[in-house]
Amino acid sequence: MTKYITRMGDGQRVEMTADELMRDFELGTQDAAKRGKIDPLTQDDLKYLLEIFTCTNKIVSVEPGNEVVLTHDIGSLRLNGDQANSGVGIPLSRIQGIGVHERAFAADTFELGHIDYSYKPVKPIISMEQTEMETAQLTTTIPLFYGAMPNLGTYYRPDGPFGNPSDLLPMGKIQEAREAQEEAVHHATRDMIYIGEKMNAVGGDGLNFDTTGAAGDADMKATLHAVEYLKQHTDLAIEVGMAGEFVLGIHGGLEYDGVRLAGLYPHQQVKLVEKAGADIFGPVVNTNTGKSIAWNLSRALTFIKACVQVSNIPVHVNVGMGVGGIPVFETPCIDSVTRASKAMAEIAKVDGL
Amino acid sequence: MGKAELFEQAAQAVVDANKDAAIDIAKQAIAEGIDPVEMINDGFSVGMSRCGELFDTGELFLPELIVASDAMVSAIAVLEQAMPVEQTSKKLGIAVVGTIEGDVHDIGKGIVATMLRVYGFEVHDLGRDVPINVFVEKAKEVNANIVGSSALMTTTQVGQKALEQALKDAGLRDKVKTMVGGAVCTQRWADKIGSDLYAENATDAVTKLKELFS
Repeated sequence: MTKYITRMGDGQRVEMTADELMRDFELGTQDAAKRGKIDPLTQDDLKYLLEIFTCTNKIVSVEPGNEVVLTHDIGSLRLNGDQANSGVGIPLSRIQGIGVHERAFAADTFELGHIDYSYKPVKPIISMEQTEMETAQLTTTIPLFYGAMPNLGTYYRPDGPFGNPSDLLPMGKIQEAREAQEEAVHHATRDMIYIGEKMNAVGGDGLNFDTTGAAGDADMKATLHAVEYLKQHTDLAIEVGMAGEFVLGIHGGLEYDGVRLAGLYPHQQVKLVEKAGADIFGPVVNTNTGKSIAWNLSRALTFIKACVQVSNIPVHVNVGMGVGGIPVFETPCIDSVTRASKAMAEIAKVDGL
Repeated sequence: MGKAELFEQAAQAVVDANKDAAIDIAKQAIAEGIDPVEMINDGFSVGMSRCGELFDTGELFLPELIVASDAMVSAIAVLEQAMPVEQTSKKLGIAVVGTIEGDVHDIGKGIVATMLRVYGFEVHDLGRDVPINVFVEKAKEVNANIVGSSALMTTTQVGQKALEQALKDAGLRDKVKTMVGGAVCTQRWADKIGSDLYAENATDAVTKLKELFS
C-alpha cells in the first residue's frame, strides 16, 4: 500500500498508509470529543483531512478565497531571540523585527514584546517600552499590539512575594496555596491594567495576553479581570491567547462570571473571553509528542471547530511549535505547519492563525 | 449493611473528600468484622482510583485530589489499628524528582510529585533547575529507588541523558528505576537514553510506578 510521509508529535518523520492515517484521525477526534464533551469531526471532515495528508507535495495551501488573517505573537523574539526563546538568533532590533514582519512576511498584525515577555517585569521599564511602541507606531501601518504573558508564576517565590503553589500543594498546604493565588490574581490584574493603560496612552493599537492560563486558573482569572477593565477604560483591541487546551485547576475554586475556570476547554473558554470584552480569541491545543501528527491535528481540529462554532468573536488559533497539530520542534516542520494551517482554515473555519 | 454497600460508601467518601465519613466507615467496617485489607483494596482504593480518573478527565483538580487522599489516609489509619503489623501499609517506593538543570518549568513536575505522594510514595521534590549531581546525591542520601526527571525543552532534555550516566558513574543505576517526563519527552527518547520509564503525565507516572512497585 502507498505510504505517505508525515510526522510524529516530536517531529520525527514517519510514513503511514491512508488506513493508518484515517485510524489516527478517528482516534484523535474521539479523544477530543470525549474530553471536551463535544462533537467529533464528521466523516466529510475526516475525508478532507485525508486528502490534505495524502497530497504528495511537501507543502500545501488553502484554496483561493479561504485565506485567513495571520496574527503573530512573541514579538520579534522569533527573529532576534536565541534558540531557547524560540528564536533564530538574527541580530536585529525590535523595530527592525517589526518592519520585517510587516513588509517581508506580510503579517496582518504584529506586536511589540520585551525579552522577558511577561507583564510584571515590564513595569519598571514601562517608559522604555512606551518609547519603543511610539516609535514603532510611527514607522508601521499594520495594527501593532503590545504582547506579554500574564505569567502568575512571576508573583510566586522565588520570583515574587507570595508562596509558591507548586511548593505548598505537595506539602498539603491547600489553604495557603489558594490564598497565595488569590493574592497573585489581585496584583497581576493591577499590573496588566497599568501596562495596558500606558500602552494606550502612546497610541498602542492593542494588547495581547499570550499563554493565558499557563499558571492555572488564577492566571486566567487575572487576565479576564484586566481585559474587562481595559475594554471599559481604553481604546485597545484585545487578544486573549491561551496556554493550553485545558485550564489547569491549581486553585480549583476560582470563578469568573459565576463559571468555574478550572477544566474549561476552548469552546467554554471563549465564552468567558467574550464576556470580558476581548476582540480576538487565540485557542491552543497542545501536541502530544508520542502520537502522530494525524492524531494530534485531528484532535486539535475537533476542539477548535467546536470553539469556532460557538464564538461571536474572531478565533485566531495558535499554530506554532507544539500547538495546533504542529510538532514540538524548534524549527517547526513545513509539511506539518502548512497541513495544520490549511486544515484549521478549511475544516475548523478559523478566522485567523 | 452488606459488605458491597460499605465498600461503595467507602469509595464515595474518598471521591467526596469526606474525611469524617471515611473514618466512620472504617470504624463500622472493623465493628462488622470486615477484613481491613479487603476494605482498603475494594473500598477506599477504588475511590482513589475514581479520583484519578476524574483528575485525568479534568473533572477534579489537584487541591481536591489532595483532600481526597487525606480522607483515604485517615480511614486507612483507623483500619490499620485492626491489622496485624506485617499487613500495615508501607511506602510503595522512595522517589527523587526534579526538573533538569537549565529548565525552570516545574508545574507539571509538581503535579507528578503530589500525585505520587497521594498514591503512597515517599517523594523528595528537588524543585526546578536541578544540577545532575544533586539528583545523584539526594538519591544516595534517601536510598531512593526511583529517580524522575522532567524537561520541557529540547535544549535541557539532554540533561536526562547525562543523569543516566551520572547514576551509572555513582554505582546507583542498578538500584533505581529512572523515569523521564515533560512535554518534549517520548517513549522513544526514554529508550534511547536507557531510562526505565516514560510518563506522559502525572496519572501515567502513578500507574506505571504502581505497576512496578506494588
